[in-house]
Amino acid sequence: MSMLAIELQKEKRTGIIPVLLAVGVLGAAYAFLNFLVRKDTLLNLPLAPMDVLLTQLYGMIMILNMFGIIVAACMIYNMEFKGNAVKKIYMLPTSVAGMYLCKFFILTFFLLVAIIIQNTALAQIGIKDLPAGTFEMGELIVFTAYSFLTSMPVLSFMLLISSRFENMWVPLGVGVAGFLSGMALATAKAPLLMVHPFVVMLKPAVAMSAQWDNAVALVAVAETLVFLVAGVWMSKQLRYE
Amino acid sequence: MDYIITTEKLTKRYKNFTSVKNVSLHIRKGSIYGFLGPNGAGKSTTMKMLLGLTAPTKGSFTIDGKHFPEDRLTILKEIGSFIESPSFYANLTGRENLDIIRKILQLPPKSVDEALDLVGLTEFGDRLAKKYSLGMKQRLGLAGALLGQPPILVLDEPTNGLDPSGIHEIRNLVKSLPALYDCTVLISSHMLSEIELMADDIGVLNHGRLLFEGSLDSLRQNALQAGFAADNLEELFLSMIEKDNAARKQRAQL
Repeated sequence: MSMLAIELQKEKRTGIIPVLLAVGVLGAAYAFLNFLVRKDTLLNLPLAPMDVLLTQLYGMIMILNMFGIIVAACMIYNMEFKGNAVKKIYMLPTSVAGMYLCKFFILTFFLLVAIIIQNTALAQIGIKDLPAGTFEMGELIVFTAYSFLTSMPVLSFMLLISSRFENMWVPLGVGVAGFLSGMALATAKAPLLMVHPFVVMLKPAVAMSAQWDNAVALVAVAETLVFLVAGVWMSKQLRYE
Repeated sequence: MDYIITTEKLTKRYKNFTSVKNVSLHIRKGSIYGFLGPNGAGKSTTMKMLLGLTAPTKGSFTIDGKHFPEDRLTILKEIGSFIESPSFYANLTGRENLDIIRKILQLPPKSVDEALDLVGLTEFGDRLAKKYSLGMKQRLGLAGALLGQPPILVLDEPTNGLDPSGIHEIRNLVKSLPALYDCTVLISSHMLSEIELMADDIGVLNHGRLLFEGSLDSLRQNALQAGFAADNLEELFLSMIEKDNAARKQRAQL
């Protein structure tokens, strides 16, 4: 617990937490504005009202979340490399792997907060603007969990990449390349492409239904764990020189 | 003799370059051990091995009876260190930087102020570390090493980047530490004149090999025997290095 408190203290003035909170607020604002302007068009689509609410707005929200994760993950390790701070940490009686895990938990928690903010906005829209009796809170909660779960491989992957490169432009470039290649491959049918963490995150955004997909969820959990374990293991190999 | 740090034929080899070769050090408890050598002699590499930052290719060492890597955390709890350039969180103030170290070492909050005071950074404690001058960053690094008064201090060229009065101040501080806190100091430098003013014992390293280890008095005696004036150790040091370099060249030609 004290390690987590230390990690939070280090984050001061880095903008990591504000970035993820801003992503949540921006996503919520986008949902409100979009529904305000395009309400009739959206509700006239040949889709169930809940599917309209959850899938038609999610594309942009997901892109915001993706860039929020990329930027926050880059910054969370950049502060360690900037003044060689991590080298001092190597000389102290503390676990470097524990530090990696704390960073993972901090990013995960604030991403979850951002997603909750966005989905609270969706709930507001659903209660107020969907035809009477069509809004289902249960479905929204399941979709919230699903979108969070499918975002985790990108978070886990980006944290691993940013922990390996001292130059912040490298993980940032990897993130942008991941986004572009993910966009190109997201609609492809080949299941093998789901090894690409950005494709997994894009899956709910390209689906026409807000239904939970067990295969995608399973791949998301597996990838998150693989990248996390790899990151923890690599962090144990001190790279002082 | 009560040694707190001993190394046994410590060797560090990179692909086709040996940075440290069969170095056996004996550092007495409560002493200031000056680790001397020209740039690239292997001083920092030896210190990094002692801190577990890089693994020895061969040889072993004990610190206060403990071994790496089994006792890594216990050893690091006992060592305050400053290696190469200062390391700090650029987004935090000097005080906040020390507070992070304090929390990791589980020390009382007042230890931060004590460390800042010790290195003369109290009035700049609330300034962002990235806005510090090189000398102030150096002092911050030293404060981080001194935090909690560890029984062993490993300082790698701690006066780099300091102005003459800063060098004098830090030299006096290092000199006073064994008496003040009953600690042992391993300090490196490439200047004998600086080490001479602080150290009880010295080790001279060149191209990874230990050329001399002993007290300053025995170095003075060596100087006399070699025909140098006992008060001119700098010349003895330079001639030791030159002799060793010449012998290396000869060995290479053979």
